[in-house]
Amino acid sequence: MGDLFSLFINSVFIGNILLAYFLGMCSFIAVSKNVDTAAGLGFAVIFVLAVTSPVNWVIYHGFLAPGALSWLGFPDLDLSFLKFITFIAVIAALVQAVEMVIDRYSPNLYATLGVFLPLIAVNCAILGTSLFMVERNYTFIESIVFGAGSGTGWMLAIVTMAAIRKKARYSDVPEGLQGFGFTMIIAGLMAMTFMMFSGITL
Amino acid sequence: MSEKNSKAHVILFALILSVLCSLLITAAATGLKARQQENMALDKKVNLLRAAGLVEAGKKPGKETINALYDQRIEEVVVDRQGKVIETPDPDGMHLYFVHTKGAGDSHDLKNISGYIVPINTRGLWGKIHGYLAFENDGETVSGFSVFSHSETPGLGGEIESAWFEKNFKGKKILNSQDKFVSIGIAKGKAADLPKDKQKNYVDGISGATLTGRYLSEGIKNTLMKYEGVSVTFRQKQLKAKDASPSHD
Amino acid sequence: MNAKSKSDYQDILIKGLWSQNPVAYQVLGICSALAVTVKMSTAVVMALALTAVTACSSLVISSMRKIIPSNIRIIVELAIISTLVIVTDQVLKAYFYDISKQLSIFVGLIITNCIVLGRAEAFALANDPIDSFVDGIANGLGYGLILVVVAFIRELLGSGSFLGFQVVPGVLYDLGFQNMGLMVLAPGAFFVIGLLVWLKNSLPGISSQQK
Repeated sequence: MGDLFSLFINSVFIGNILLAYFLGMCSFIAVSKNVDTAAGLGFAVIFVLAVTSPVNWVIYHGFLAPGALSWLGFPDLDLSFLKFITFIAVIAALVQAVEMVIDRYSPNLYATLGVFLPLIAVNCAILGTSLFMVERNYTFIESIVFGAGSGTGWMLAIVTMAAIRKKARYSDVPEGLQGFGFTMIIAGLMAMTFMMFSGITL
Repeated sequence: MSEKNSKAHVILFALILSVLCSLLITAAATGLKARQQENMALDKKVNLLRAAGLVEAGKKPGKETINALYDQRIEEVVVDRQGKVIETPDPDGMHLYFVHTKGAGDSHDLKNISGYIVPINTRGLWGKIHGYLAFENDGETVSGFSVFSHSETPGLGGEIESAWFEKNFKGKKILNSQDKFVSIGIAKGKAADLPKDKQKNYVDGISGATLTGRYLSEGIKNTLMKYEGVSVTFRQKQLKAKDASPSHD
Repeated sequence: MNAKSKSDYQDILIKGLWSQNPVAYQVLGICSALAVTVKMSTAVVMALALTAVTACSSLVISSMRKIIPSNIRIIVELAIISTLVIVTDQVLKAYFYDISKQLSIFVGLIITNCIVLGRAEAFALANDPIDSFVDGIANGLGYGLILVVVAFIRELLGSGSFLGFQVVPGVLYDLGFQNMGLMVLAPGAFFVIGLLVWLKNSLPGISSQQK
């Protein structure tokens, strides 16, 4: 249990999927202008990650990994090279489902998120989490915890960035740096702050 | 315009696309599989050679050189907890690699074996760390260390695979001044800051990667405890050889 | 069909490479631009892989643009891109094993790289195959340009080397020079890109960033 908790904390802070591994930047830059929209998108991403990670685990370990198909009588088959295409298909399908649910229960959020909701499907953080899960050989429970942790870390970063950018609206930023350049500098400072967590032992 | 959106067309299109994509992917994967496996085997061999000090850290010689050097000098065996080589497959057997002296025969006498390599497979901060820890044939001095697979954070824990970290292991000892087994620890900061008699049992730590260092030292200690039987055998052989040699005083 | 003049291709090339650079101007493909630029060798291989995938996927999608059903358009594009990425990954593992180990998951992430999908949607669906192929190459090279510049800075300051060769002379190290550890880590990447974008925006003749 302690290991799972430690995995969760590590994924949120020390190995923050956005600030340490650079995944999920595109929507990070575009949506982080408004704290509420950022929070809404963040929750959607946590949900998508917490579900796609274990589902992809089952598909990988049940069908694609070397020797996985021994239950069907093909112990020598190694279909791991199909993981990219199956993972992205699962993610696209789940995002479509999430879209329909949000449209039904919160049309306001659906309208504010606009095109960024379907864009979750191509958010590198989602596919990246599944690929890390395979590379690091997590168990089923660990994949759920890792998915939820990565999502939480991503949401934490995007909401914090939105809050900082809101405050920075009254700062005197040089013209060439406004917009993307300034966001990168803030992100760099945030990344440095999150690195401080690596000194904490649980 | 409506023709391309008709149900029949959509289904046919999707089917043909799926078949073509699958064919292309499978052709690439199966056609290149042999080369990929060769690469993985070569990677493992060069890391064993690096740990043994037969290939310089960070260097990767050509395929023929690696294979020739490996075939001549490295022997993969399975040992039991007492350090004896076992021939028949045994689930409790542990993998070990002997480093043969140049031009020597295949026997397991001390004069033919210049060292042994223990495979280290431990958990890291993120995923597993796989490496090789090489010993000289005195059963207590480390002759080299090389990491060949890990999932640690690049620039932080990932430094365990860099030359400076691996080189620090050379010459360290797993027995302390009282000849008790203590393994190799990864210090927090520089090993030179530790008391003098402890320095030979520690290597410099990696700043910002305390957790990786901790997992790695724990993993090395647990693995080496299992292989103590092997190390003890070498220490005894070394003592016997010293006693037998007339120049020993 | 008019024969395409050389200057039309030149236009496409310049747009992709410079004036509408996918990373610096369109703000696409940032994820991998930050992650694989610790060393120049990984940046170069990544850039070549992405250029190959973008060019080929744009070519294929453009050739099929009149028969792709509109309601499965995105899925079809993703399928084509994924196939090309898988093939690229297999080739890298076979012929550039050490670099593929360092690139780890980022080759797979070319699938979600906004540049590839972005060019397919924005250009390939509306233009003919040869133009789309050139556009793919142009954007891929534009991405590669940024990657190589960032990697050059990060590798030089962070490890004192260029393409793996030590260029900072030992003499400087003895005098007290130390490698800038920050460059090897995440924050260094963010700062370098931020400052480069500022530099680019201050140069004349480039379309300036939307605020």
